[in-house]
Amino acid sequence: MLTPISRIAFKEFNEICVPLARFRHFMRGKPPGIAKSLAERLEEENKKDPDISYRVNIGYSQTVTPVKLKDRLEHYKKKSRDEELEKLSRQRQLKLSVEDVRKEWNQSVGPNQIRIIADHYGIYEHLFGDAYFIPIVPLDVKFKSDNSYIPVYRGNIIKPFEASQCPEVKFDAESDSLWTLILTNPDGNFTDSNAEYVHWFVGNIPGSDLSKGDLIYDYLQPFPPHGVGFQRFVFILYKQEGKIDYDSYNKKIPCRLLAERNFKTKDFYRKHQDVLTPAGLAFFQSDWDPSLTDFFHNVLEMKEPTYEYDFPKPYIKPQVWYPIRQPFNLYLDKYRDEKEIAKEFLLKKLKKEHPFKAPEKKPKYPNAFPIDKKYPSWLRLEMKKERLGWGRVNDY
Amino acid sequence: MNIFHSSIRNSRLDYLSLLSLSAAKRLNHSSISLGPNDVVSTTYENRNPRNLEKLRIAYKPKGYHLEKPFRNFWHKLEITRTGRHLSAAIVHYTGPVVISASTTEWCIRKYLYRTNDTSAYVNLAKVLSHRCLESGILEMKTDYFSEAPKSKKVALFLNEMENNGIILVEPERFEGYKPWDQHRPEKPWEIVED
Repeated sequence: MLTPISRIAFKEFNEICVPLARFRHFMRGKPPGIAKSLAERLEEENKKDPDISYRVNIGYSQTVTPVKLKDRLEHYKKKSRDEELEKLSRQRQLKLSVEDVRKEWNQSVGPNQIRIIADHYGIYEHLFGDAYFIPIVPLDVKFKSDNSYIPVYRGNIIKPFEASQCPEVKFDAESDSLWTLILTNPDGNFTDSNAEYVHWFVGNIPGSDLSKGDLIYDYLQPFPPHGVGFQRFVFILYKQEGKIDYDSYNKKIPCRLLAERNFKTKDFYRKHQDVLTPAGLAFFQSDWDPSLTDFFHNVLEMKEPTYEYDFPKPYIKPQVWYPIRQPFNLYLDKYRDEKEIAKEFLLKKLKKEHPFKAPEKKPKYPNAFPIDKKYPSWLRLEMKKERLGWGRVNDY
Repeated sequence: MNIFHSSIRNSRLDYLSLLSLSAAKRLNHSSISLGPNDVVSTTYENRNPRNLEKLRIAYKPKGYHLEKPFRNFWHKLEITRTGRHLSAAIVHYTGPVVISASTTEWCIRKYLYRTNDTSAYVNLAKVLSHRCLESGILEMKTDYFSEAPKSKKVALFLNEMENNGIILVEPERFEGYKPWDQHRPEKPWEIVED
């Protein structure tokens, strides 16, 4: 709605002519102590009703048998008599093997800690919604790169060139059990941000022998585009109750069409939840590397997409007729069209440059050269800023 | 929100690159596509909640100057000492304990002679830092540096963490810049390390 100019002007005029007077002290809102703090208000606002939003365990419950007290006491007794251990400990030479610790950790507190860190990475939220599972089957995934192995744990960073080949997967399983292994990327979909890409899908694995399973989707290496940061790649191992017919997913192998790799773990699990139970989890993060340019062009046969982070736009107050104590040129620039400003700066720049001559050398102290006093002071200031390369000059 | 916009990479315009840039734009707008995969949306959302922290642009509370305990961290290291045991944990600013290790865990306690001597400190630091590396959390803030000169055990703990490749300082948040700002700080993800 437009207000008549005269009225705005009058209002502004009134604001300028406010007499310098002290007013009675008054407080907005409730006094401190009674009013809630921001933290309290946010907590109240984000409070969830436990009857409506609760999480469901869709996996197995973990049964840890703690070491018997008798055995523990015996162990302590043995340790206290161990002179060599004492000597090592007192001389700070005692070094425990991380491998041994991890092995036992996997059988005891490990699965629960994996669940906590996976929650921190939003894995369950983005793959299963309100459901979660405890990964009781330790999943050992390793990428082979040159002469070394790069293991996948729970969020470690692996570059795409290191993960270009299909990884080796090991897990303990009885020979007559059936398993499904899926590698999925919840952050990579180019068309739908709520969907995933399935990078690898092997179903009906007898025991732990992946080569005998049905290959539904062949392995596709990670391809995070330039500028989007780190994507998560999640291996999920499901235990099957019986043989599952995955024929509806069967695509031709190798599958290089990204649209055919669209996947939603939630929908997949809903469909097969009677016969599938998630039991193992491992995930890594990956970001762009130069080897991907070739991969995009030759394997996926597409232009390489590049993204840039879109920072939130700064808040700009509504414009007023009489901005008090504001430099008029900077104030007005805030309300001008960005394209218009860009054009102005660019034309000014192009005017100076010559297509065939080298650019002029910048003086060491650019503001040592006097500026003609005929220009107004605001313009002289702008010229000085331009010489120093401050402000908007940097953008164009 | 974690939103990225597609754009042409060189945002700096100089005279010669301007010509090539306009050409690249035209190519983008045309319907020439290299294959069926060439359908890409112009905006992209990365749902990984740790991504912006790694790129250093995530929100980070500022807290108050001289405040103790400080609040300006994404992840911080916390060491808890009881009469008999030692625990260490990585805490996120929103509250949850993300990674933890303790001498009460049988898998660690089993190999130690005492659960709160110097060896225990060093070995727990080793186990915790390996768990951090495995979880992709490589940087964290800690206030124990001020305590380190007084306590040799804590100093050895921090030293062991650093030896295992954990960085005990968190980078500053990159807040971007406004068009009228004086300087244009370099974007952290555009700095190429050799």
